[in-house]
Amino acid sequence: MEYAVETFSLTKIFPDWWGREKVYAVDDLNLQVQYNEVFGLLGPNGSGKTTTLKLLLNLLYPTKGKALVLGGDSTDPQISARIGFMPEESYLYRYLNARETLDFYGRIFGLPAKVRKMRTEALLDMVGLKAVANRPVGTFSKGMARRIGLAQALINDPDLLILDEPTTGLDPIGTRQIKDLILELAKRGKTVLLCSHLLADVEDVCDRIAILYGGKIQSEGKVRELLQQTHKTQITTGSISDTAIEKIKQIVRNEQDDCVITSPMDKLETFFIKTVASAREQAQPTSGVVSDGTYISDFLTAGHAEKSRRAEILDKLVSAPVSPPASSEPPTTEHPTLVETSEPEPDEELLEKLTRQSKPAEPKHIVKPQPVESEVLQPEQLKKNVLDQLTDNPTPQNQQTDQTDKSQTGGSSDA
Amino acid sequence: MHSIWAVATNTIRQALRMKVALIFTILLLVLLPVMALSMPGDGTIKGRLQTFVSYGLSLTSLLLCLLTIVVSIFSLTNDIKQRQIFTVLTKPIRRFQLLLGKLLGVVLLDVALLLIFSAIIYAITVYTPRYLEAGEDELASLNNEFFTARTSLTPPKINVTQDVNDTYNRLKETGQLLPGSSRDEVIYVLTLRKELEKRAVPVGRELVWQFQNVKPLDPNQSLFIRFKYDVSVTPPDLNIHSRWVVGDDRQIKYGTEMKTPIYTFDRKDFIRTFHEIEVPADAVAEDNYLAVGFFNPPLNNTVVIFPPDDGLEVLYKADSFTANFIKAALLILLRLIFLACLGTLAASFLSFPVAVLFCLMIFLTGTISGFVLESFDVMSKNLTGIYSYTIRPIVQLLPQFDKWNPTKFLVPARLLSWPLLAKVAGLMVCVKAILVLLLALLIFTYREIAKVII
Repeated sequence: MEYAVETFSLTKIFPDWWGREKVYAVDDLNLQVQYNEVFGLLGPNGSGKTTTLKLLLNLLYPTKGKALVLGGDSTDPQISARIGFMPEESYLYRYLNARETLDFYGRIFGLPAKVRKMRTEALLDMVGLKAVANRPVGTFSKGMARRIGLAQALINDPDLLILDEPTTGLDPIGTRQIKDLILELAKRGKTVLLCSHLLADVEDVCDRIAILYGGKIQSEGKVRELLQQTHKTQITTGSISDTAIEKIKQIVRNEQDDCVITSPMDKLETFFIKTVASAREQAQPTSGVVSDGTYISDFLTAGHAEKSRRAEILDKLVSAPVSPPASSEPPTTEHPTLVETSEPEPDEELLEKLTRQSKPAEPKHIVKPQPVESEVLQPEQLKKNVLDQLTDNPTPQNQQTDQTDKSQTGGSSDA
Repeated sequence: MHSIWAVATNTIRQALRMKVALIFTILLLVLLPVMALSMPGDGTIKGRLQTFVSYGLSLTSLLLCLLTIVVSIFSLTNDIKQRQIFTVLTKPIRRFQLLLGKLLGVVLLDVALLLIFSAIIYAITVYTPRYLEAGEDELASLNNEFFTARTSLTPPKINVTQDVNDTYNRLKETGQLLPGSSRDEVIYVLTLRKELEKRAVPVGRELVWQFQNVKPLDPNQSLFIRFKYDVSVTPPDLNIHSRWVVGDDRQIKYGTEMKTPIYTFDRKDFIRTFHEIEVPADAVAEDNYLAVGFFNPPLNNTVVIFPPDDGLEVLYKADSFTANFIKAALLILLRLIFLACLGTLAASFLSFPVAVLFCLMIFLTGTISGFVLESFDVMSKNLTGIYSYTIRPIVQLLPQFDKWNPTKFLVPARLLSWPLLAKVAGLMVCVKAILVLLLALLIFTYREIAKVII
């Protein structure tokens, strides 16, 4: 049980029609994913990422080798009850509506009706589909279907989350939300294995990555170690005077080196989210997903009171919350306890932006019955306490401190 | 169990919401009343009801069979094709549980639909006579010959082997055998001749059949002697005169005191059609013995022959029409369960169109299984042992839908007994369907679900 996922010379050969070996989809793969780690499987199209996941989940059988998931075989109900899987596309029963879909998956797990209902509602709330919960998922857009796909993967509060291309088909906001959620779950002690070819996504969330090509691992390691340019130093400041710049240049020159000074650019993602946020502020009507954007990032970036309320949703859905029962935690005005992104600077701005539009943050206490409203502008209001109800084991003390550390450093990758 | 149930309800929901079941349901809901109104049968109320029950049940059975095949295959192949199965199988559910869940869903759907439609057919059948003006006679014959469940006794087959062998030996000793003919051929011809002799009544002679185990429900009811004549020379008016004697003939033979009445009937009937003589049931002796005698009077001028199998039967009421109808519906259900298993098997390794084709082929072969089995038996006589040990057992596994056709029991108001139903259940479901299902589970457990995507 050392690793959450471990493979031993995993090999998958697809034979041609005559049974002759044709394609090595996965070739002698030895993969180790530690517990409580976000692991990214990277690679170009056709490099064997999805095949590897399918081998792990026994949707394909290996030609050679073996895969252990959570220390066992993933077909064992004991094991698979602890796995959440989101396939590369959301394959849903078109005739079921969103609520029935989640209820169906909950019933496969044998969750009691009460728990099932609570989790279903909480998840719908979290992925922002509450307003369309009674619509058949066959009428959903791709992004909405992805959200349901994600919700079904979380219905059982999995210890190991396997995500196949988690961000395809989602708009930048949705992408951002998924990334934030992954980080949140990792912080709550979950293990996440994801595969993607969208490098930006992987870079933002993964602790460790492996790059696959031709079914073989070409490179593997911690994202930081792989990407950090140890021979360079970056200093970021607020807007400073030309004389100060000159002084800095002088200092650098004294160190026998040269430096380039520019104004940092916003990431396009940040700009996009800003634009959409301001459009929402003006209450422009949108067709379809009313709740687009009322998602985890929302409740990470809204006012502090809302923030802690939203963390409750997650706490309710996840058995190991970051903080001791969130309802008992008074919402402080100082600590942005849950701000957690890999790009602290632009996010600060986003946070500010979204905070301004949200209701004045009354530090009122959060034990609210779970609301079922579907207002366009204040869906953030709903979230928080959902997670807490689902929480069965209170957080150990060390986890709390760990979390506080993280939020102070703003780091995302020390799991 | 909860996962099986979850899959089952989802399967039902799928069938209902994807409108597969809806189409069949509407079709039946429209067709059944139309049939009830538009089928006059042979003009009598009995004929009308017989036609309606026969066509109504056959149509229901056919449509439900098709529905079962389509739904059981679609449900699984669609999951695989649309890949919903990826998200389902990665949950804590074993593959066999998924298959059983789908099967359970289809069977439950079948039960519900069958219940609805057989109830409709039953209601129409029972209420039709009330709305049609029927005479006393017609109602009586309806009650005696349609709204009942009669058991039938046929005379035991007389073993002629000894007789045939004796005759053969005598012919051989006296040198009367035709040169060039083998023993088998002679025996075959002799057997046919001897058997015919036992069924034929020359002019001025009589034939007596003895039945044990005649157990009418109530001595105040009637027995029915059902018979059909064949003749060696067709009479000009196509009629046969006859005298029938029914009762305990031992009383006459041994001259004991008369305890039960003996009834005598003088009749004149058309040849080559079925007729029934109503006899009060008190003719049966205390030890359930009954003798039926036929006398061929000289008026006839021809040998009267009773055809094998259904030439002569004694019928009496053994159960109610309702009970028989329910059992007939159960017979259809057994058929549907088999087809659901078959559909599951086909879907476990074939794609939708191929699987449907495969099942339809088996289904159609099953509806003519009597013919198929006979043909194979005839063919295998001339073929090698390998053949009869490989193909024949497989052919034997075919479901015999035609042999257990519910209308075969309801139209002539024949009793479909529980032991018979149990036997069909044992054969069609417990043996054949389970075999098919096990094969399906085996294939599905070991196949790869995901397609080759690299």
